[in-house]
Amino acid sequence: MNGFRCEFLLKDNLQFRKYFWILLLIVCVWLALVSSVPASQNSIEQSVFRITNYQQSPDWKSPWKMKPTSQGLGSGFLIHDNWILTNAHVVSDSRMLLVNKISSPKPFLADVLAIAHDSDLALLKVRDPKFYQGLTPLELGGIPELRSRVRAYGYPVGGKELSRTEGVVSRIEFGTYVHPGIDSHLLIQTDSAINPGNSGGPVTQSGQAIGVAFQSNLRLNDVGYFIPVPLINRFLTDIKDGRYDGVPEIGIETSSLINQHYRKYLGLPEDTGGILVERVVPHSSADGVLLIGDVLTKIEDLQIDAAGMVRYSEQQVTFFIEAENRQIGDPLQLQVWRKGKFINLTLTLKTPPFGSEMRNSYDELPEYVIFGGLVFIALNRNYIHSPGNITPPLAYEHWYREIERPRTRQEQVVIVTRVLPSPVNSGYTNLHNFVVSSLNGKPVRSLAHLEKILKNMPLETTNVVFESEWHKIPLVLNFKESLDQHNSVLKRYGIIDGSRIYADKNKDSQ
Amino acid sequence: MKHNNFLYTLLKWPITATVFLFTSVLQADPPEIKPWFQQAVLLKSYQQSFDWRTPWEKREIRTQSGMALVVRLPVSVRISESENGNNNNLYLLTTAEIVSDATLIEVTRKDIRSPFQAKLVLMDYAANLALLQINNSKFWRNLRPVKWTPVKSSTDHEAKDIYSLKIKSQDEWTMESGTIDRMTVGHRGVSNAWFPLLRLNGISKSGQGYPLLQDNETAGMILDVGTGETKAMPAAMLLEFLKHAGSNPYQSLAHRGFIWSKLPQSSTYNHLQIPLEKPGIWISRVLPYGTGSDVLMQGDYLTKLGKWTLSHDGKVEHPDWGISLFDLLFLAHLKVGDSVKLEVIREGKPVVLQTKVSAYKENSRSVPLKIVGTAPRYVIEGGFLFQELTLNYLRIWGANWQTRAPMRLRLFLEQNKAVSIYENNKTDKSSNGSKISSEHPPRIVLVSQVIPDPVNIGYQKLSNAVVLKVNGKQIRRLEDVSTAFLNPINNFHRIDFLPGSERLSVILSVAELADANQRIKNNFRIPKLQSF
Repeated sequence: MNGFRCEFLLKDNLQFRKYFWILLLIVCVWLALVSSVPASQNSIEQSVFRITNYQQSPDWKSPWKMKPTSQGLGSGFLIHDNWILTNAHVVSDSRMLLVNKISSPKPFLADVLAIAHDSDLALLKVRDPKFYQGLTPLELGGIPELRSRVRAYGYPVGGKELSRTEGVVSRIEFGTYVHPGIDSHLLIQTDSAINPGNSGGPVTQSGQAIGVAFQSNLRLNDVGYFIPVPLINRFLTDIKDGRYDGVPEIGIETSSLINQHYRKYLGLPEDTGGILVERVVPHSSADGVLLIGDVLTKIEDLQIDAAGMVRYSEQQVTFFIEAENRQIGDPLQLQVWRKGKFINLTLTLKTPPFGSEMRNSYDELPEYVIFGGLVFIALNRNYIHSPGNITPPLAYEHWYREIERPRTRQEQVVIVTRVLPSPVNSGYTNLHNFVVSSLNGKPVRSLAHLEKILKNMPLETTNVVFESEWHKIPLVLNFKESLDQHNSVLKRYGIIDGSRIYADKNKDSQ
Repeated sequence: MKHNNFLYTLLKWPITATVFLFTSVLQADPPEIKPWFQQAVLLKSYQQSFDWRTPWEKREIRTQSGMALVVRLPVSVRISESENGNNNNLYLLTTAEIVSDATLIEVTRKDIRSPFQAKLVLMDYAANLALLQINNSKFWRNLRPVKWTPVKSSTDHEAKDIYSLKIKSQDEWTMESGTIDRMTVGHRGVSNAWFPLLRLNGISKSGQGYPLLQDNETAGMILDVGTGETKAMPAAMLLEFLKHAGSNPYQSLAHRGFIWSKLPQSSTYNHLQIPLEKPGIWISRVLPYGTGSDVLMQGDYLTKLGKWTLSHDGKVEHPDWGISLFDLLFLAHLKVGDSVKLEVIREGKPVVLQTKVSAYKENSRSVPLKIVGTAPRYVIEGGFLFQELTLNYLRIWGANWQTRAPMRLRLFLEQNKAVSIYENNKTDKSSNGSKISSEHPPRIVLVSQVIPDPVNIGYQKLSNAVVLKVNGKQIRRLEDVSTAFLNPINNFHRIDFLPGSERLSVILSVAELADANQRIKNNFRIPKLQSF
């Protein structure tokens, strides 16, 4: 029995040696593949940090007040120049930022150097230079291939230590960025687990960072997204002059030309792709360049197909990709089919109009004016998405007016959000979401404009009359009583300032 | 202590007996049940409403049970008497809700087991009243019309308890008692009408169409039995409906012809040049129907309606019900056709206007409220399903349609105007005018969905898109769509949609349209490509 066992073992040992060398070869090839990389696993992990953000956001219902402080956790990683790259949503509305290295209890104070809410990216710098000792920054790579393996690092909920997960690239396309709410950019989908806290952490391949993990889809299983490198590079280029200008947009709405009858109607040549321009956004990059009814056939050197897609990094993605990787002020070459012939056009890229009203607002305290106990604010996305505020009149003013009746939207839509009860406004105390169209017959263009009209009102004025397209009865207050009671109203409701207006936002109204 | 206990024991039973007897005397006897065997009948309705998502189909059948009252129309009123199987001008009165969209209405007498089939002869959906007839003399034998009595208010010292029927089965009819909480003015949300409404306490076992009894006579009809509160229509309103039943075309009940607001404070009075000490209400909108719609203007300050002075919050000293909303005057004191003076302050000056009390009118909105008994109107061209926006259409989003239906469509309902979509870049002044001139305001026409077919490839994601033009012609109602499709431009049909839609234009080939229409009709089993 023993002899048999030995023989078996001997035979087994010989086989083991044979397989050992094969296995070793495979491991070496694998290591060669994996470690043909600038950074080792260890150095990557050293350069991924836990970020703690003590944040405080304003109360949009009572715009002079702040909400209670909360604590948010996220991740970030070191890139060149001692910069820490993370998501904007990780560091938004920050009052204090702490950064921890891997397995280290010592927090370091950090500051936001630049923030891009439209593309959910931010750069931090730690105040103490010692923080950077012994760290190797991650290099930024390119767009990964579909089905290739990627690794996500970060500090998701459920533990304090660094988490590492792996998955494959499952999709590369345009999608909505949840943080700004309205912006769509290129994003990469992976089945690597991306959970709350992972945000801001690197997604790596071959030792290079190929993106920043930023959101997941709670309705689907194993679906996480990361921001690709072209958008990160665009951000880093944008801030070189010390100011963030934003991601440009062309400013058009288009419809597909998949339907053959529509193509024949337009007289488009066979095998020409092209997408139909159906709306040109006033004051946008395309305003004055493109016309409704143009068929956009080419953008820079890329042919646009009938669904509006172009070939980009071996993928089909929407033609808007050519604009989003450029800077404000850059030219963009277009070819359109107009009135039966192809023509070439050039537009200069701009940020979208009304961007600050349309996307979620962060790091900024709300503007407001209080007069006669009426609280005036400018309608924006934060306000309309507060509970109970998506009413048809506000929705029309916020979303539909400029689409249906172009160039009729004022700089800001001024509304009375609430009334602070006092003798001067008795009878109006339940008023809510009153859209102000005019004040004593003058159209109100913005909060600053409203404040200016009130300040310049002659003292002998009897009544201040606010009119609204949505309310038949005007809102009327006695002018003298409103002035007399102004300070007592502020005192009674514990308000220090009767208004907050940002001069640089309202240049035209001053 | 012992003495006290003894005294208590001695007096306990006599006191209890006295209290019991006294209470029994105060508690009026319920009305006798037997007369109601001849005056009220059981009703069962099989209803099948239309499917507004697939407008050529109908929805699942549902049944509702209730009662109908035997009523006699006034002598002057006759509705196709020869078909009614009786010579006494007798009909059945019930709620409109219970018989709307009915495919079969069965009526059962207390003393005859087999049901009779009833036919709807008149329905006022806004007033929630319907009149039925039965073409079978056997049914009417020994039936007697209800005896009406005006409702006596609970504040009236002579007021007695109210009763309604409680029916467990065809054989078990009893009474339940309750009290009148108040007389008010009610609004159902499915129409714009505000009509008188009695709110009752204690009635919980009755149902729609049941009689409301007071002094052994009929004081009203039950509308709705809810948890804690039951609603009924007062007899005066029912009698007015019966009086109007013979008018051709039918004319609904008396109603105000304006929307009003309370002025908030002294500075508003001052701005609008209205003396603060003068009570009244501010006319915020003049309706295209109803009392005063022909003489009032938006911005008028109405101080007196007939002989009644209005308070700052629209109330009057009602002769029967005390301080009440002025709408209650239309119950018995202001009837259709009566002359009435309206005293207003117009641009700071008092003005007396003379008008006649007039009726509520449905179907005068750009976005009609609930439509019953009529199939949805539609047109299908190239798979594009054209429909008019109505409350029924918005309700396909279910019970929470007010938050789930597309916001832009809800806004049309709220604004009730289509005109702004035709006037890009212009300020819409239509709502600020003093009067609404058009009897038939424009409707909002939608492409509600695209029925898939090769002809509409590339367009199939389109839904709930408001149609602006077809072949360059403005679309203001569904008929315009059919007309516009008769005039293609250069062998193509072009449809333009309201900006904000999934896409703003589509093109269809004239050459392929007829074949495509036939194919869609066959593939999707659609009986007709146009409902009218």
